[in-house]
Amino acid sequence: MSADAVDSEGETSAAETAAANRERRESDAGQWRRVGTAALGGALVVTGLRRRSLGGTAIALVGGWLSARAVWGLVRPDRDPSASASQAEPELDDDSLTIAESVTVAKPADELSELLSDAETLSRIAEPVVEIESTGEDRQRWTVGAPLDRSVSWEAELTAADAAADLRWESVDESALFDELSVEFREAPGDRGTIATLRLELDPPGSELGRSAIERLDVVPESLGGVALDRFKSLAETGEIPTTEANPSARGEGDLV
Amino acid sequence: MSRETMEAVCWHGDRDVRVDEVPRPEIVNPTDAIVEITATAICGSDLHLYNDRVPSMREGDVLGHEPMGEVVEIGDEVENLEIGDRVVVPFTISCGECWFCEQGLYSLCDNSNPNAEIARKMMGHSPAGLFGYSHMMGGYAGGQAEYLRVPYADVGPIKIDSDLSDEQVLFLSDIFPTGYMAAENADIEENDTVAVWGCGPVGQFAIQSARMLGAERVVAIDRVPERLEMASEHADAETIDYADEDVYDRLMELTGGRGPDSCIDAVGTDAHGVGLDGVTDPVKRDVKLQDDHPYVLREAIKCCRKGGTLSVPGVYVGRANVPFGAAMNKALTIKTGQTHVQRYLDPLLETIEDGEIDPSFVVSHEEPLDAAPEMYETFNDKDDDCIKVILTP
Repeated sequence: MSADAVDSEGETSAAETAAANRERRESDAGQWRRVGTAALGGALVVTGLRRRSLGGTAIALVGGWLSARAVWGLVRPDRDPSASASQAEPELDDDSLTIAESVTVAKPADELSELLSDAETLSRIAEPVVEIESTGEDRQRWTVGAPLDRSVSWEAELTAADAAADLRWESVDESALFDELSVEFREAPGDRGTIATLRLELDPPGSELGRSAIERLDVVPESLGGVALDRFKSLAETGEIPTTEANPSARGEGDLV
Repeated sequence: MSRETMEAVCWHGDRDVRVDEVPRPEIVNPTDAIVEITATAICGSDLHLYNDRVPSMREGDVLGHEPMGEVVEIGDEVENLEIGDRVVVPFTISCGECWFCEQGLYSLCDNSNPNAEIARKMMGHSPAGLFGYSHMMGGYAGGQAEYLRVPYADVGPIKIDSDLSDEQVLFLSDIFPTGYMAAENADIEENDTVAVWGCGPVGQFAIQSARMLGAERVVAIDRVPERLEMASEHADAETIDYADEDVYDRLMELTGGRGPDSCIDAVGTDAHGVGLDGVTDPVKRDVKLQDDHPYVLREAIKCCRKGGTLSVPGVYVGRANVPFGAAMNKALTIKTGQTHVQRYLDPLLETIEDGEIDPSFVVSHEEPLDAAPEMYETFNDKDDDCIKVILTP
């Protein structure tokens, strides 16, 4: 009896320890995501303010919004730190942000797929917010700079997608800001080339406040996908990305306010 | 190391432009070219900026979208231009590669506006980037300056190999093609009567182009005597001074009650209205009930014959209260848009070289770049018989 009890207590204790470890890992992952989200938000704010243009303002707004979500997730008083991961996870899911945007590019799907699977192309599209470098076949390291010389970095792997030309990246690290990023290609009608559809599941922690912020600022989150696709389309069709970098004005040099 | 500087005409707010010392532009992308400007004009649409009508301007922006000059630097991938070439630069920035450019719809280029997302949020889609015409339209520095960076340099600038003067070819950058496209959009047929509202530079070229495209009668509408005289003298246009006559009554009289077959609005957002609309339009704009003064648009819809065509080269910026019911019930065709300048460069240069037209007839003032602030004021107030100003850096 007592032995049974001891065994039972031992089993219970082991299960609780495993659960606690899992919770801690998942909590750490959530924490990393919040830090990462704050870093991304901070980087966007800094980038946006540095650019001091309308585009920069939009970037800064995105950044501010992400930072607010992350900070709110960190300090929100109704979040019970002892809550199990299984309780916390649905909240994260509820607050995740899915971006889906399409663009028509006057190039064939296989050419676009090859271009976009290249880390240098990705980096040119994502700069100056995200730096992407190749770390091996089909693996890339994504880095978001943050103020005070801090940064958040994670590895993503290009994995098999449903159609031959489609691309899908899955994050390898727990600190990643997205669970999955995919680009699907399908033929556009007539002679118009290929429709590229980007889907991005951003997973910043947040709250109802964050959700209502999305609704109020619906212009902002979608801008991430729209701007990325604009840059990809321009690069694919013309070999360059339009820019007003180094633009002269009475304010000085660059795309300034 | 700080960059070299240059003089440029910069926007500082409502009726406030100044000549400032700004950094010289440099090559950024491999298809860029740098042009040293020899002549650059003030456009009527610059007055919309001058009067602070266009959203997304920033203090210090370099103005100007009607420039020409000499190529002094080219990017690694520029193939059609060489250093030393004399070029006229279109105001539309177009990549030449996207579906729209391939259709000849250059002002709808998909790739040239770095701020496309902002334009998309305001208009649904982004048109092409433009020189010196707000951040929503790309934020590119303009050509009222000593130097200009020209993106996609193989697609835009047209080389001038003949000894035609700057004054004769400069307006290929905007107002000649804009007037021509306005007339082309008017679907002019033999024996047609075309009414043109606004006898500023674009109106003058629309009137000339309507003649070139076969209009039997052209009626020019304005209130500035020298502009009406110019239309009469250079294109044998009949004229209506709207300050003295009711435009609808006079047009019905001239057309036997049918109305003009085609109407061209070469005025746009800043129309001077008469009567009640002339009073209420500015008030509505002040209280944000509308963004434009669409007086001419209303009058043109009313006057145009049933089944006729309304062509709108005039620039509008936002919401305009117009009688769309009349347009629908009269089955009008409406055509508009920023000019697909690149489409018209070669054929219109040929008309100049052949002596069919000498665009320099519109020039009333030629001044150094430093005189830009006074010239903006003079042009805006239509003082000193001012019709078209060329600035020479």
